[in-house]
Amino acid sequence: MAKRFRTALLSLLIPSLFACDADSGRVAQIALDPGQTRAYRTACAACHARPDIGAPLTGIDADWRERRKKGIEGLLVSTVNGFRGMPPLGTCGLCSENDFRALIRYMAGLP
Amino acid sequence: MSARRFTRREVVGGALATGAALCLPGSRARAAGSDPRPAWLEGGPLPWRNWSGFQRCQPVSRLGPASETELLAQLAGGTGTIRPAGAGHSFSALVPCDGALLFLDNLAGIASVDASSLQAEVFAGTRLGMLGPELALHGQALPNLPDIDYQTLGGAIATSTHGTGGSFGSLSSTVVGLTLATPTGELLECDAQRNAEVFQAARTSLGALGVVTRFRLQNTAAFKLVEKTSWRDLDDVLANLARERAENRYFEFYAFPHSDTALAIATNETAAEPYTVGEDDPGGLQLLARLFAVTRWLPGIGTPLYDAFLRNSGTTERADWSYRVLTHPRTTRFNEMEYTVPVGAGPDCLREILRTIREHDLPICFPIECRSVREDDVWLSMFYERPGFSISVHQFADLDFRPYFAAVEPIFWKYEGRPHWGKLHTLDAARLAALYPRWREFRAVRRALDPTRRLVNAHLATLLGT
Repeated sequence: MAKRFRTALLSLLIPSLFACDADSGRVAQIALDPGQTRAYRTACAACHARPDIGAPLTGIDADWRERRKKGIEGLLVSTVNGFRGMPPLGTCGLCSENDFRALIRYMAGLP
Repeated sequence: MSARRFTRREVVGGALATGAALCLPGSRARAAGSDPRPAWLEGGPLPWRNWSGFQRCQPVSRLGPASETELLAQLAGGTGTIRPAGAGHSFSALVPCDGALLFLDNLAGIASVDASSLQAEVFAGTRLGMLGPELALHGQALPNLPDIDYQTLGGAIATSTHGTGGSFGSLSSTVVGLTLATPTGELLECDAQRNAEVFQAARTSLGALGVVTRFRLQNTAAFKLVEKTSWRDLDDVLANLARERAENRYFEFYAFPHSDTALAIATNETAAEPYTVGEDDPGGLQLLARLFAVTRWLPGIGTPLYDAFLRNSGTTERADWSYRVLTHPRTTRFNEMEYTVPVGAGPDCLREILRTIREHDLPICFPIECRSVREDDVWLSMFYERPGFSISVHQFADLDFRPYFAAVEPIFWKYEGRPHWGKLHTLDAARLAALYPRWREFRAVRRALDPTRRLVNAHLATLLGT
């Protein structure tokens, strides 16, 4: 748990720098541009950097392994429409489709 | 509504899941309530949807100004309808329009802090969840918070969003000054002395006067709280409500339809270091739904069994900084109706709602949230010159809320309830005018600031009678 928390905290604090570490349990992450970093911190991190509420945590391989099977397109559709506890648009109404693709890739470790 | 601890999950969850999946009123309603509107498909233009998914629209543009200057140019330069969207957490149709949606995500954070007065000027696009930690860096805290922190500060104040506590008003009552970008492209500084009428109207504006870019908030010194939950007889809670309000800094409770049980939550200041006893279960509401679905089909023993499960669901106690204790994560989405009735009428109104649910045999298990809020002087606040008892009814987002809300809304009317602006209701201008003594003044300010109705969407046209 402590490791998950540290990883989530790091991903909240320095998302654009937190990339490509393939050590145990973490996924390689793309870099976000400044606008996407702001969107991540404002919207996504409220759940995806908060351990123990059920949302898959940013950069945690085990949380995303099954979800990655939906592919970027499937995850994008779930993001826009909402899926279970995930609200539509992830509460980022300003995000473009490209922003969502980058944010999903960043959190899920998709290339 | 909090996803509180239902720690019997390990015992009953597996068995109940099977029964509930087969089952029962929940799944029938779920099928009937499924949304027939098409989902977004890849390649189409991005829609806008609110947090629950019920409100939606297809705006022609999305604006995200990076400065007040840019915002003023966008307001003065456009012609179509424009609506500020906040974080999209309103359940009512305040946001949808086919023109431009405005997001203040780039106008966020603390603009300035005054340590001597404990005031801070905060940009309206700041999410409440980010505001607490930022204020704490300056040794300040909001005196109260709603129990959800996904909203923007601007959206929360525009709808008089509130927490609980008989000594505390809504977020709007903490505003001592604000900066308003008008639809004609002016920037107005407003407080009790400057543009005083606009100030009174803009502290709960519904986003109908312009776009508030900054609020000056009257904060307190940062403080810690301890929250304790307990399972009680509902009658006991209602009989002792005045004492609970007086003895606790914050007090609220949840009433459970088809049950005589309540979950009481008392929160008070503490000097203790952060700790937690017991554990919140974010899936607790889903478990409750399964439990309800099974027990309601057990003649004679279903209700006592349901009550017994609730009362043995454990309690929690947690201490931390105020912004961490007062707010809770939400992993179950829902739609919500909330009315605030005069504080003395609250218990009778709640009892009538619970009786109606039973008599109509409505298959509702979502707990009913009951909070107390101090009166204020904000024109369109639900607490204008009247201390309030706010009763919130919810339905799971994937179920049809309409039969339930239609059954209880007339009860709120009977008790002179004022609807929460960000939650579902069916009142129009004529009925709202009777509830708000300063309605006429608000409308006059709106007409003066937005004569061409650029900020009026269909919902606001109904509310305001424009």
